[in-house]
Amino acid sequence: MKSGVSLIEKAKYVRKEIIRFKTNTGSGHLASSLSVVDLLVSLYYDEETFFNHKTDKIIFGKAHGGPAVYPILADLGYFSLSELDNYCKPEGILRLHPDQTIPGCEFVGGSLGNAIGYAAGLAWADRKKILVNVLGDAELYEGAVWESLLFISHNKLSNLLIVVDRNGLGILGETEKLLKLDPLKEKFSSFGFEVLSANGHDFNSLRQVFLNVPTKPTVVILNTIKSKGVSFMEGKAEYHTIIPKDKDLIKKMLEDLN
Amino acid sequence: MKTQRDEFIEKLFLAAKSDSDIIFISVDMGAPALDQWREQLPNQFIVAGISEQNAINLAAGLSRAGKKPYVYMMACWVARCFEQIRYSCAMAQNPITILGAGVGLGYAPAGPAHEPTEDLAYMRAIENIEIHSPSSLGLIQSLVNLTISVPKIRYIRLERTVSDQVSNYKSNCTFSEVVNTGSQIFKEFSLLKEKTKVSILSSGYLLQRAYDASIILQKEFKIDVQIIDVIRIKPLNIEFIINNMRDSNIVVTIEEQALSAAFGAAIVEGLSDRIFQAKVLRLGLKTAYVFENGTRDQLLDNNGLAVLKIVHKVNEFVRAQER
Repeated sequence: MKSGVSLIEKAKYVRKEIIRFKTNTGSGHLASSLSVVDLLVSLYYDEETFFNHKTDKIIFGKAHGGPAVYPILADLGYFSLSELDNYCKPEGILRLHPDQTIPGCEFVGGSLGNAIGYAAGLAWADRKKILVNVLGDAELYEGAVWESLLFISHNKLSNLLIVVDRNGLGILGETEKLLKLDPLKEKFSSFGFEVLSANGHDFNSLRQVFLNVPTKPTVVILNTIKSKGVSFMEGKAEYHTIIPKDKDLIKKMLEDLN
Repeated sequence: MKTQRDEFIEKLFLAAKSDSDIIFISVDMGAPALDQWREQLPNQFIVAGISEQNAINLAAGLSRAGKKPYVYMMACWVARCFEQIRYSCAMAQNPITILGAGVGLGYAPAGPAHEPTEDLAYMRAIENIEIHSPSSLGLIQSLVNLTISVPKIRYIRLERTVSDQVSNYKSNCTFSEVVNTGSQIFKEFSLLKEKTKVSILSSGYLLQRAYDASIILQKEFKIDVQIIDVIRIKPLNIEFIINNMRDSNIVVTIEEQALSAAFGAAIVEGLSDRIFQAKVLRLGLKTAYVFENGTRDQLLDNNGLAVLKIVHKVNEFVRAQER
């Protein structure tokens, strides 16, 4: 899929499905899932980006946003579409945090700061293996992340691309007001990384940073909006674990996407 | 005498020369036996720096990629990366081997930060982990073989020193049989008679104290004692222990740990799960955090594990059962 229009349509479809299955059960982190949708659509569907889902792996750090991948995996045939209806239900295979028991998913989800080191182990073991680690920006508060960054940079693990979902929010509010993360670019640069940034909701911008497999250890900072696509939730920290229940509100969420 | 750590690394090195999947991760820890490894097998040696959490996560990734990772650290730091062991290895099913050097008060007089006295409690809580506390150098080769051939999450608790008497002990079984069984009876130490009144269960460094106490118990107090060296603390071979208790149901556990949820507790659980009614006396450190200067032996003496203290407590316990 190359055209920007069809990627936008794909992203709309993914968001609708996420809203549908999340509001179905009321479980999980809708807001965090919505901010990574376009990243995933770009990697999985844009033929011009380097990622090949048959051979390459996405390792979620912020696995609470990981369910965004479920509609994509269902669409690509990893499991049946009907599984989306069984999300977080006893009879279903899809869980609140994706884990290795789910076809197309890797590792285990739910403990921040660990996936990057795990991905570094995979990348060290096989330098031909292409890996993408999706880190939440608030996940950067975990010290283990920085231990792993030192290791990745020193060992030049360019086959592991680190993507930071910079939606600017933790549970309690804005990261820059709560506990400063900036200047992020300079922090990663000083660790020896090539640092790229992109608009995490613009497929042209995403394509620019994902055109080729990096040749140097690289961090991509994606500027994103938490809850992207649902106007009344966008950029609001209080929706981290809140999923609207009201039917009219859910209807409005879906209309927003059109 | 060579340390268990150097013995393990030397034997593992020999295997690694013909098995390129064996990867050694050091969190800035050296060892005489590591020098040749770093020179001859640099591609199987990872410097993680002092970063236990990252080191375990790396090992989990290596394991998933088909490697056989060994992470070497001071035993006290397994608490620091407990979440990574639990989450990235146990939960995600990525087998690795953790070599923990210096268990109990082995690093005395370094102080309580370097002296893991609760590690059995928290490590044995991890599902499907194996915990080994070898008592002699002879067992190490068999342990190395086990870690290479049967992938599992393992925590190998390596003693910095063990008395010669303990380390040179040879049971009737081969070392590999002992490792398989997970326990052995110290026959030559136990002055074993037909009827044993008390079974003392211990491991590693404290076996010597168990032995010294048993001599006094037998000579001075006419209490017949046998000693069981429990090498594999998880999973326990509780059948072996029960089958070897003969006609006595008095059990004493001696450990270099705070008592909560540790070795003695594991034995009690095991006996209870088999509905085996035993009288169990658990002896351990009177405090987990020992702020005292002194040798390991001095600290043990001062914190509830002096040989005469053990003798006194066992005697008292046995007499109480007779009443």
